[in-house]
This record gives sequence, C-alpha cells and structure tokens, in this order.
Amino acid sequence: MKRKAALILLILTLAAGARAQGIRDSVFTVPVVKVTAGDMFRPASAGMKESRVDSIIINEKISSSLSDLLSENSSIFIKSHGRGALATASFRGTAPSHTQVSWNGIEINTPMSGMVDFSLIPVYIIDGLSISHGSASIARHSGGLGGSVEISNEADWSDTFSGRYMQGIGSYSSFDEYLGISAGNRKLQVKTRLYHNYSANDYTFVNRGIANIDPSGGQLVNPIDTNHNASYSRYGILQEIYFRPGSRDILSLKYWGQDSKRTLPRATSYEGPDNSNLNSQQSHDHRLTASWEHYGDSSRLQLRTAYTAKDLDYVLKNNIYGAGLIPVIYSQSSQSGFINKVSYRLNMKHGIKLEAGLDAGFYNVSTRDTVSGTGYEQSRFELSSFVGLHRQFADRLNIRVMMRQDLSDGQLLPLIPYLGFDYRLLRGHDLVLKANIARNYRQPSLNDLYWEPGGNPGLEPEKGVSAEAGLEFSGSAAGQKIRAELTFYRSDISNWIIWVPSYKGYWEPRNIERVLSQGLELNASLEGSAGRLGYSINAGYAYTSSVNYGDTGVWGDESYGKQLVYVPLHSANVMARISYGGFSLGWQYNYYSERFTTSSNDISRRDWLYPYFMNDLSAGMEKEIKDLVLSVELKVYNIFNETYHSILYRPMPGRNYMLILMIKF
Amino acid sequence: MRSGIIYGFVLLSIIASSCMKDDELWQRAEVAPADSPSGVFIVNEGNFMYNNASLSYYDTETNEVYNDIFFTTNGLPLGDVAISMSIRDSLGYVVVNNSGKINILDINNFEYRGKITGLTSPRYIHFINDTKAYVSDLYAQAISIINPALMELTGSIDLRNNASPYNQHPTEQMVEYGSYVFTNCWSFDNKIMLIDTYDDSVVDSMEVYLQPRSMVMDRYNSLWVLTDGGYEGNPLGYEAPALMRIDAATMSTEMVWRFDKGDWPSGLELNGRRDTLYFINGDVYRHAVLSESAPEVFIESPYNDSAAAGGGFYGLGVDPYSSEVYVADAIDNVQPGVVYRYSHAAVPVDTFRVGIMPGSFCFK
Repeated sequence: MKRKAALILLILTLAAGARAQGIRDSVFTVPVVKVTAGDMFRPASAGMKESRVDSIIINEKISSSLSDLLSENSSIFIKSHGRGALATASFRGTAPSHTQVSWNGIEINTPMSGMVDFSLIPVYIIDGLSISHGSASIARHSGGLGGSVEISNEADWSDTFSGRYMQGIGSYSSFDEYLGISAGNRKLQVKTRLYHNYSANDYTFVNRGIANIDPSGGQLVNPIDTNHNASYSRYGILQEIYFRPGSRDILSLKYWGQDSKRTLPRATSYEGPDNSNLNSQQSHDHRLTASWEHYGDSSRLQLRTAYTAKDLDYVLKNNIYGAGLIPVIYSQSSQSGFINKVSYRLNMKHGIKLEAGLDAGFYNVSTRDTVSGTGYEQSRFELSSFVGLHRQFADRLNIRVMMRQDLSDGQLLPLIPYLGFDYRLLRGHDLVLKANIARNYRQPSLNDLYWEPGGNPGLEPEKGVSAEAGLEFSGSAAGQKIRAELTFYRSDISNWIIWVPSYKGYWEPRNIERVLSQGLELNASLEGSAGRLGYSINAGYAYTSSVNYGDTGVWGDESYGKQLVYVPLHSANVMARISYGGFSLGWQYNYYSERFTTSSNDISRRDWLYPYFMNDLSAGMEKEIKDLVLSVELKVYNIFNETYHSILYRPMPGRNYMLILMIKF
Repeated sequence: MRSGIIYGFVLLSIIASSCMKDDELWQRAEVAPADSPSGVFIVNEGNFMYNNASLSYYDTETNEVYNDIFFTTNGLPLGDVAISMSIRDSLGYVVVNNSGKINILDINNFEYRGKITGLTSPRYIHFINDTKAYVSDLYAQAISIINPALMELTGSIDLRNNASPYNQHPTEQMVEYGSYVFTNCWSFDNKIMLIDTYDDSVVDSMEVYLQPRSMVMDRYNSLWVLTDGGYEGNPLGYEAPALMRIDAATMSTEMVWRFDKGDWPSGLELNGRRDTLYFINGDVYRHAVLSESAPEVFIESPYNDSAAAGGGFYGLGVDPYSSEVYVADAIDNVQPGVVYRYSHAAVPVDTFRVGIMPGSFCFK
C-alpha cells in the first residue's frame, strides 16, 4: 500500500515536472505529445469535458493576456472592448458571471460583479491552464453555468537554478518586461516572477464617428484620429515557495500581487473639450494562498487557505472653467475574500474512489462614489460541501457521481447533482464516448443584490439544467499524434439575471430571462516530427446557439427566440506551428460569424458586427551559447491590415508588430 | 512529408485571407421623402458608449416612418446618447450628450450641415435669436452660449458655487419668459434658475422639491415643474415626487400635487394651445392647467400588469398643431423601440418601430 502511495506521488511529481519542463524548453521546439490515453479515460473525470491548454500554446502566447489566449485557442468567446481593455467571457453562450475562474484552487471572480476581466491576467503567471466545459466545473465549484477556467502554478522538484528574462517591444509604444527565476532542490523550491506591461496604445484610425464638411467641395471627410486615452500599464509579482518535508507532504505558499492602471477611450464621436470626459480605472490586487497536501496510504488530504483583496477605482473627470479638473464620478470599491478549503480523497474497496470537500468563503464588499455619495457595504458567508464517487468497471466503463450542497448566508440552496460516464467504444482503442447530466445554480452577485440604485435583494439564484455527450479520439501513426473531440451540449438556464430599465428610470436586475443554450464543440490537433522538422496544428470550431425565451409580456415579441447579443453563432480558430532546428514559424487564425448588439437581432448596418477574420503570424529563432539560450521572435498581428470592430464603433488597430527577445539559463 | 506540410500551410493561408467588410457600412443613400410638410423627428438616444443614437422621421400625413435618417443620408453615425432636438428655420439641431456636440441637419433632405463642438455634456438647446442660443449642460457647471449662425461656441454662463459635490447646477430644460430664461437643475439638485438673456447672467433662483426633471410654461405664464424625488440611497434625499405650479413673475409656488413615494414621473409636455399638460408616470396622464383636480390617466400603460417586472413608457410628445399624443416605448432598451400615436381623444391612430431608446420628439 505504501508503495502504491509512493508511486502515485512519484507520478504526480513527474507529471508536474514534465509540464514545467515543457514550459521552459518548448518555446522553439515542439515537445513530445503529453496527452495520453490515461488522460482521456480517467474515472475521476468520467463524462466531463476538461481540456488542458497545451504548453505550446501557453508559450506561444506568453506575452499576451489570458483574454487573447482563450479567444484564440479555446471555444470560449471573449468580448473584448479593445486592445488592453476590459475582456469578459461567454462560455457556451452564457453570461460573463457564468464562467468561474480559479487560481490555484481559489476563485477569483469578484464578489461585486461575479465576473473576471481576463485582460488583467497575464499569461506569464500561468504554468497550467485547464478549461472545464459546462458541468465539469461542478467538481470544483458551483455557479459555472458555462464552465470554468483553472489557472495553476506548479513546482519543478529538480535541483535547479534557472531563469529567464524577456523583453518585448511593440507598436504603439508597447513594452513588456518579464523576469522569472526559480531555484531549489528535491525538498524546497522557490520561484519568483516579476512583470511589467505598458502601452500607450495610440494607434491611428479613420474616425467614422466624426465628419468635417470640405469647404470647397461640400463632401464629408472623416478625419484620421489617434486612439487617445487608451493607455494601460500593469505591474505584478508572483512568489511561490514549495516545501516537501518528507515523501508524504507538500506545503506551498503563493502570493500574486498586481497593480493595473488604464485610461478608457471616449466615444469615437466625441467632439467635446479635449480636457473633459476623461475616464480612468485603477486596480490593486493581492492574492495569498497557502496549502498543505498530505498523502496517506490510500488517501490524499488537502488544506488550503487564502486571502484575496481587490481595490478598484473608476474616475470620470471634466474640466470646469476656472476650477480645473473636477470628478463627476469617483467610484471606489474594495472587495475581500477569506477562503478556506479542505478536500479528501480515498481509495475504497472494490475500486471505488471517494472525494469529499468543504469550502468556506467570507466575502466583503464596500463601494462608494465619493461624488454622489451612493454605495453599499455588504458581506456574504458561503459554504459549499461536496461528495463525489467514481469507479471503473471492467476496462471500458467509468462512472462518476457528484453532489454539491451550497449554503449562502445560512440559506440552503438546492442540491447540485451530477452523473457522468465514459465508455470505451472499441476495446484497446482510444475512442471514448462521454456523457453527463447535471443541475447547477449560481448565486446573484453582491452588486445584483445591493447596488445603489437598483439592487434587488429578492433575487433568486440562477438555475441551469444541462446534458452533454461527446466522442473523444486519440491515436498515432507514422510519428504523428492525432487527437479529436466532438461534444454536443444543451443547457436550459432559467431565472437568468439581467439588468433591465425599470419604470423608476434606473436599471434593476431581475430573474426574468430564460436562455436555452445548445451547441457543439469540435477540437482537433495534429502533432508530429520528421527529422529536425516539427509541426503542430490545433484547430477548434464551435456552434453556439444561445437563445432568449424570457417573459414575452415584458420584452415585446422581438427579442423572444433570438440569439443573445454579442454571441457569435459560429466561431473557429486554428493555430499552426512548424519548427526546423532553431527556427520556428507560427500562424494564428480566428473567425467569428456576425454578432448582434440588439436583443431583437437587427441586421441594420449600424447595430450589427460583420463577420470577423483575423490572421497573425510569428517567426522566431533560438540559439544556445554555452549555458545560455538566446531567442528572438517577431509577431505580426492583423497581417492583412483589416479595419474592424469587436464592439460597435470601437476601432481596432491595423497591422502591428511585437519583437520579443529572451535569455534563458 | 515536408512539402505536404508546406502545401497545407499555403492552402490554409488562402482560406484565411478573406477580408472583413468595413467599407460597406458607410455607403450613403437618399431617404428623405420628396415633399413632407408635416412630420415629427424622433430622437433615439441609443446606448451609452455604443455610438448608436439615431434619428427617425415620421410623416404625420402619409403615416410613413423613415428610420436612421441621419446615418443613411450622411454615412455618419449621429453619435453617443442623443438627448434632444430643436428646429430653427430649416435646420435641425440634435444635441448629442456623450459626443459633446450638436449635429446640425437640413430638416427636409436630412443632409449634414455642420456641428457645434467643444461642449462638455450638453443636454438641450434654446434659441435666443439668430446669433445666440443657450445649451444646458449636465457637468460643465455652466450654460454654454453658442452662435448658431457661425456654428461656434462663444461663451458661457458660470453657475459654479463651489459648495459641495451636490447642487452644482446641472442644467436641463430651458423655457422663455420675456427676456428671461428659466432652467431646471435636475441631477442631485433642487433649483430653478432665472437667467437674463441680455447680459447672460443668473439673476435669481428658487428652491423646489428634489430633482426637478422637466419643466414647461403654460399660456397663463405659470411655470410647471415635475420633480422625480430621488431614489432610495440618494445622498440628497428621497421623497415623494411633485408637480408644481409656479408663478413666473414672482417665482412663488402656487400649487403642488404630490405623487406616491417611489413613483418616477417624467416627460412633462404641453399641447399647442399650452393649456393642457401631459406627463408619464407609468401611464400617460393629462391635466388641464386651470383644473383644480388631480391629473387623470389619459393612456394606460400595457406594463401595468407586469409592473413588478419593469418596463414602461420612455418618451412623450404632443403635436403642437393637432394635439395628437405620441408615446415611445423603449422596451428593453437594447432593441428598436416602438412609438404609439393617439388622437387628442386618446384613440389609437398608428404604431411604428423607430430606433433604440426613443426618448424625445421634435415636431417639424
């Protein structure tokens, strides 16, 4: 038994090491495929669609933010307000607050709004990234009606002293600096990462929102304008310490701190005074977590504690003649969370495996506009208990059952059940049928309940009932590895909370929408090598029908039966890379079909976003000089210099460049 | 093998090179009706930061509606959050709040004629004469003075009092009284200011109930003011809204009608004879200016049954010639709204779709 535990530990350690290794070394060499049959047919994830983002992709996007990585390399649609600006997720056609995001097991959705701004998460801080589609997220937390995104950091338990420095220089005065150093041995590991990003983001564009009448001919001329007030900067540190006193315990302490500042561009049609309508946003984040993992003979116990704090300020200033810049909105909010988690896994008789967990979170929000004096101060205590059982039957069937019971401020939420299975269709082949059925609930955010004016304390939790089924295949032939996955899902979400204009003149959140989200996700990848040549292609396609069947009495008939705003029906992406010796070439392609901005799906020119096609290229080379590895990479974004928008009338940059220099030791 | 991969790359690149169709968005077309002596412009506010405000035109004789006339005619978006429109001679002045400007168009062929820029947060325009107009402003703590003939900003009337963040006189509507102009200070304020149009100065002010939102002057020189009373948590207070009748000459309150706390009345309008008031408070209400009784329901809102679920009328207009009443419903604020036209006796005449968030009407 002891040997078995030691073996599990060894495998876990190796896996962690292998992943970290992949990240360090794979920038310009395609690593061996790490996806194995074991990954695909695991009783612990029976029926679940979990995709781990490949380390090749994480490396390729190392200087981007998580919003870019997800929009280009997953089936999650990211609604981005522009380069470096607010980016929220729509996973399987759901709302931003329906995607749960965790960092090392700690939820980082803000208690205020319930959502995450993915533009503020740099890829630098990510070692492992996995995506749980739909009900797969119930294994970790409730509320992921669309799914969840898990960011993890892992230790590399080898005797090392390694590091890398990266310098990026790009168009529009963009500068990225990153330094990562890790040191340690088989008992202790210390990793430090520091980063800074800045961009003036001052690209030029033909401003279609403004016209001047040409005095001679009388025709309308659109000026060429600069994207003013769009700069952003980010500073951050991630510090990790891992300690392994014996073969059975791992202790870790992690801190991630970040400061972010950005100015928000005005409407493109703005022609007011230059020194008015100035918007800026500033945030400070602190996330601290400690964990202890203990491996018994046939069990694993994990304890985690975390404290998270976020300060967010939003200011709108105008120049008042004779008085200078006067704020008309000065909104200050501070949010904190104190989270404790315990989880236990046990291998029982007859191959049955048990998982149990208890999470307790205390959240506090204080928000105030110092100009208008409105705001609220509220806290919430959440408890979530979890039990899961899974077992493999013969060598072809895995079954998993889960139950989650949440308690919010002493109020019992309905039970969250999950049932899923995997069935290996052909004995000895990696062709697996996966299916699950589940129910899920999401609590309203504190803004939904208490925002002034409009917060509605009477809101019910949002409820989702979903089912999915899919096929997963992996195989290899002639040095090539192929993997493909096709999933169909259907999710019926009722009591969906949206903010609607009330007769009182301000907006109020209400449980009135019912959304039926159905679709399919198709992913395929091919990797291989021939001599010194390596190649890989990752491709994805998603069909997302997310349709409103809310109360017609309220809405008038035009929005009933229509696709939700900003959710494309079709989306696709391809990432292809080839490498030869120390050289590499990469191509990224992205497509979205039309998106509507009106709930009635108007296709009038002005309220409609035309289909989106985007192509980026990157080329790099790497050279080893003694113990150093030097590399240089050039990325070209929007290679066809397309004029496009991802939000109505918000112009996006044309062809632009980023040069990345890196030193590794 | 290797060549296969390269071919694959080339093929994929060809597939991917299809381009986006931005240019098609900006093509222009003539939409104005050839001969339309009577009609109404509907200002569709649009969503904040979406730049999707639009202008609709409804021919009151042919019952024909023309939507998005400014964009279609000029290939230029109207802007972000269009609040109001006023007509002077053959030109229409559309005040676009979050674009900080006034767009000017020909009211007959809808062609762009120019703009007045440099405004902080403009709300309404009021013409004094051919070369002088006032523009009220939410944030400037001043009224802007413009020259409509030159389409230029020429000065401002300072309303600053440096007291607290509140009562900073965010001006809204303006009505004329002899050589004076009354203006109401709505957001976080409770004042009516009196401005002398000869020397562009504030000469008097009076306190009214909380947040005077709209204002009209009847034929007997009584100033009618509708307040909204604030809301729960409003730092300035929360009280029952009021409809007030004020004697313009003495600036004294003659009569007050209080609503229920939690009501949110808006859109005070007069008919052409300026003897009957109309406003929205869930339903549309009517009140003869000389009547001593309470305002009566004129048009019932279809939202009454589902009042708990929100919704309601958003904008109101009364035809100065026919006294017909136009009521706008913004529905969910993110789809084209609907306008209902009623006769002066509240008989339904027509229903038509306009743009997003139809908020105000301007009769030709």
